[in-house]
Amino acid sequence: MGESSSKTYWKSLPQRSDGVIPLPIAGDEFPEVPASRGMEFRRRDFLAAAGFALGGMAFTGCSRAPIQKAIPYLVAPEAIVPGHAVHYASTCRACPAGCGLLVKNRDGRAIKLEGNAEHPVSRGGLCAVGQASILGLYDSKRLQHPMQQGKRATWDVVDGEIMRQLDALRASGATVRVLTRPTSSPTMRRVIERFVGSFTDAKHVTYETLSSSAIHQAHERTHGQSVLPRYLFDKAEVIVGFDADFLGTWLSPVTFTAGWASGRRADATNGTFSYHAQFESRLSVTGGKADCRVPVAPSQLGAVLTQVASAVAKKSGVAFLAGDVGTNGIDASLVEDLAARLWHARGKSLVVCGSQDVNTQVVCNFINHTLGNYGATLDIAHPASQGDAGDDAIQTLLNELEAGTVDALIMDGVNPVYDLPNGAAFATAIGKVGLVVSLADRISETSSHATFICPDHHYLETWGDVSFGDGLIGFQQPVMRPLFDTRSALESLSQWTGVPKSDRALVQETWGERVSWNKAIHDGFAKVSQQAVPVGAFQVGVVTPVPVAEKVRDGQLALVLYPKVAMLDGRGAANPWLLEMPDPITKVVWDNYASLSEKTAASLGVETGDVVRVTRSEPDSKATTIELPALVQPGQHDRVVAIALGYGYGESARFADVGPEWLEKKPTLGDNGLVGTNASPLLTYRAGQLRLSGAHVSVTRTGRKHTLATTQDYHNIEIPEALALPGMIRRRPMVRETTIAAYQRDGKLPERGHAVHHEDLGDLWPDDHKYEGHHWGMAIDLTSCTGCSACVVSCQIENNVPVVGRDEVRRKRIMHWLRIDRYYSDNHGETDVLHQPVMCQHCDSAPCETVCPVLATVHGEEGLNQQAYNRCVGTRYCANNCPYKVRRFNWFEYAHDDKLANMSLNPDITVRGRGVMEKCSLCVQRIEEARIEAKKQGRAIADGDIKPACQQSCPAGAIVFGDMNDPESAVSKLIASGRHYRMLEETNVKPSVGYLGLVRNRDEIEDDTHHG
Amino acid sequence: MLTRESKTQGVTIILLIGAVFSLATLVVRLGAFHLPGNHQGYAPEQPIAFSHRLHAGELMIDCKYCHHGAEISRHAGIPASSVCMNCHAVVTDTLGSLRAEDDLAKEEDRKPRRMVSSELQKLYDALALDEEMKPKAGETPEPIEWIKVHNLPDFVYFNHSAHVNAHVDCDRCHGAIETMERVRQVESLSMGWCVNCHRTVNSIGVAGITVDASLDCAACHY
Repeated sequence: MGESSSKTYWKSLPQRSDGVIPLPIAGDEFPEVPASRGMEFRRRDFLAAAGFALGGMAFTGCSRAPIQKAIPYLVAPEAIVPGHAVHYASTCRACPAGCGLLVKNRDGRAIKLEGNAEHPVSRGGLCAVGQASILGLYDSKRLQHPMQQGKRATWDVVDGEIMRQLDALRASGATVRVLTRPTSSPTMRRVIERFVGSFTDAKHVTYETLSSSAIHQAHERTHGQSVLPRYLFDKAEVIVGFDADFLGTWLSPVTFTAGWASGRRADATNGTFSYHAQFESRLSVTGGKADCRVPVAPSQLGAVLTQVASAVAKKSGVAFLAGDVGTNGIDASLVEDLAARLWHARGKSLVVCGSQDVNTQVVCNFINHTLGNYGATLDIAHPASQGDAGDDAIQTLLNELEAGTVDALIMDGVNPVYDLPNGAAFATAIGKVGLVVSLADRISETSSHATFICPDHHYLETWGDVSFGDGLIGFQQPVMRPLFDTRSALESLSQWTGVPKSDRALVQETWGERVSWNKAIHDGFAKVSQQAVPVGAFQVGVVTPVPVAEKVRDGQLALVLYPKVAMLDGRGAANPWLLEMPDPITKVVWDNYASLSEKTAASLGVETGDVVRVTRSEPDSKATTIELPALVQPGQHDRVVAIALGYGYGESARFADVGPEWLEKKPTLGDNGLVGTNASPLLTYRAGQLRLSGAHVSVTRTGRKHTLATTQDYHNIEIPEALALPGMIRRRPMVRETTIAAYQRDGKLPERGHAVHHEDLGDLWPDDHKYEGHHWGMAIDLTSCTGCSACVVSCQIENNVPVVGRDEVRRKRIMHWLRIDRYYSDNHGETDVLHQPVMCQHCDSAPCETVCPVLATVHGEEGLNQQAYNRCVGTRYCANNCPYKVRRFNWFEYAHDDKLANMSLNPDITVRGRGVMEKCSLCVQRIEEARIEAKKQGRAIADGDIKPACQQSCPAGAIVFGDMNDPESAVSKLIASGRHYRMLEETNVKPSVGYLGLVRNRDEIEDDTHHG
Repeated sequence: MLTRESKTQGVTIILLIGAVFSLATLVVRLGAFHLPGNHQGYAPEQPIAFSHRLHAGELMIDCKYCHHGAEISRHAGIPASSVCMNCHAVVTDTLGSLRAEDDLAKEEDRKPRRMVSSELQKLYDALALDEEMKPKAGETPEPIEWIKVHNLPDFVYFNHSAHVNAHVDCDRCHGAIETMERVRQVESLSMGWCVNCHRTVNSIGVAGITVDASLDCAACHY
């Protein structure tokens, strides 16, 4: 292979060293079932089976078509026309961010959540967690009625008993505690305050594992106000992140992604292209997108921040005693360069820090203050409305509980037994409380200890609100009738305060005349006047240099616990869609794991899949140990072991039956009977703050193995060894990238060194494919795509894509129509990441169409590659002939009998049966719907009328669909861009889906010698 | 005694007669032969003997009065019982029997008795209404379970509104409903039948208006 100017991309470590993936790992696209004993098919078995089949055919052939009934309403509701979808605006409550929603409601049930494009904060995007939260509504494990002492009860009985006890406690001046997550709902806060106010000794305690308490406290010190700023990424030209995964999981990723992406439009004529540096210990989604990414150990984070602060201070002339913080192995010129960039972009830069150490956050505030970013890219006069979780409050509560001084405990939306490091102690301590009421909607580790469980509605069944801090209020409205005998937490608390009111009345009461109610509910949000928080002058005196924290002893590693995209702190743990969503970076499904760097894994003698024992031994307490499989992760700091939170959730035991039933089935659950391992016991408290990272642990091999299910080596597009001629390039480049400097100079992507040029032999069907009307196409911007996988889940929900379970994923039978390929490449010893969403490319000369013997996959008049399920006989020729490996085969009957869960199925899409091929249709149901609507209105389909599910959900706006025949359409303009390329265009299959090459903000194009 | 020849002859004759009979039956059967899934001629008995001949034919009520989804939705919809009650709160029996009772009452010099047709009584029972059209205490209304006549397979996505708004008349697919006492599936509703119409209207238009009826698989299958 000759000299080349392009980088070499690899999906997994074996691929990097060998250039191609050795077959035992990558395997065939459709691995056959290995022949095992007792599985040979003998002649007699064949005859028996044939006899059964014939008999069966004879029987079924005689049966009549089943009688179908049409049962109309008794009294037709005004808003519901059967078969006609309506959308209601609401607010997502799957995480505290509160993104705007449009809930698609068909025949009286919610079937799809879409981002509300008019919402000022989320701007149309909706993350995977939000998308998937609709399944919670149709969860058969939800509590369907109140419970008393573990037995079914009625609301009257439960209310009567609770209120009798509470009244007695009120009279005796007893101690009452309300435990919730920090809430950004003004109405909820008001209702809790009123409840708490009705006792003489009552308190509202909040806690959150993913706590931002340190940021609050740092602002308390520097600005005299305990606030969480609103971060305005769209106004920042230089962004520096310190262990803050703001594109993946930190605070409000959808909003931040939209803002971040808007500053990185490489084709905008006068737009700037922001610079993004990231210092982090593990490889996060955010780090993967950074122009400059530096792995740092948790112990160094504060010191590096101090170095940057010192350099920035020097430029501004502000005195800053950096002291001797050392260089920590971080290149001083890098810090200098960063400080220069920040200083140059002062007032238009943003430094964010995810540390839970207050001193570190104070230094971060100092940098932002020195750069004049407060009021520009950070708003603390109108801060985010999330209150301070106050990490020590929960420990105080635990002490109180253990002392037996609490008489009643009301819990809402929390599961401390699961997610506190000392959860077991909490479980024991609850036993000492006379009255324990849980508002949980399910039986969890914590709610099972409650005297009464008064299940809350799902958030799509109730009224509510969320404040964004700047006067913007998001409203939540019920989009369907409650399915079960549940009750809004607002109503329950109000009832027990002695002022029974409906949730709607309570929300309305909060806002009264300040909003135009009907408009606010229609829009899903409203703006009210918001008084600015009086912020004090910056207190330079409180800023102290943060030294390198205690060095990790030899043989130990620094532990980093992190919320994983989709799983967060365990909120998604009961959701099969989220569990089967490949992690954006590791591409692992259904498990958490201990990530180790290559070097560390080698020194420990550990490979991916080896079960390791992670032990934290504190001098004053006994050792805490968890066991989980290891994963070798490029780009991670060598002295770090990273483990995702949110796994090993008690409720995940329900997934024992997930996936098809067959002889060779292997369980989806681990040895512990759960999905993954709970890492919360390893959380630490230090200086009153809950710490996700920094604890010192030892990692040892157990000798056991656990095969992780990963999709990273799936669907490799390379020439098999047997077919490759000597010197042939076996792996073709699928992704292309450039730097902003090179792109602005050349206006195009660099030539591909690997490109194989094929002669254009013309079209196979020059007369057939005229595309006289529309010609649908799609362009995906790899610069904006963060790999967050909102599109993957959105596509899954829209198109009734089944969940197959861990074992089937290992067998390469994941059904996702849209996959995100993650490529690594080497950049001067660091690891670059590139994400590429791949769905059916809808080729104009599609190789799949020519090989189908039954014309099940044929070309449409508008360029769509159509798949008619009812014609498909399952030869799989099409999948074998597809160069992009986007076709999925139904190896089993994946449809299941969970009637409730099936209510979330899209009625506009066929539920495919066994033996049928399927793939992305570019959401043809949405195209047809838009076409019919346009025809009804007597107009042409306008650009933007059709948004496939992937485009609709994308927080970064990376996916654009439209008519390529219309030169004014958004997609046509993107195709005209110099960055536009099509995958494998040299093969002349003429895909309708194209990509815009990745642009990194680096000075020159990388000239990296490749490994092949 | 029968000879060998006459025996053979006899067998042949019997076989021939048998062959003729089986052929005749086969011809009859062939006439009614349908491909699996084709339910042309299907006319199931309904829980209430609702007459389209009376409502759509004689009384000339617009189809979309009851099937109002046809214009806006994928489904035309079976009317809610409340739609029936728009008229049948007052009209409780046929005009003939109401008049006859009126005449009889006049003759016998008494107030006319309340006349309720046996079929409409089923509607009132479903709605749990008493003689004064008031809800009966202690009874819950149960919707009427109509038998669906025109069924398409699950993998076909037909949209009524697309066709109705393109001025395709209801009878084009449903036949002369206004003449049917009990609704019968007139057309085969097979894919060939759909596609043929799509081809035809693309060349001659619908009601003089040019249309663009798609022939793509994905127009209906997704």
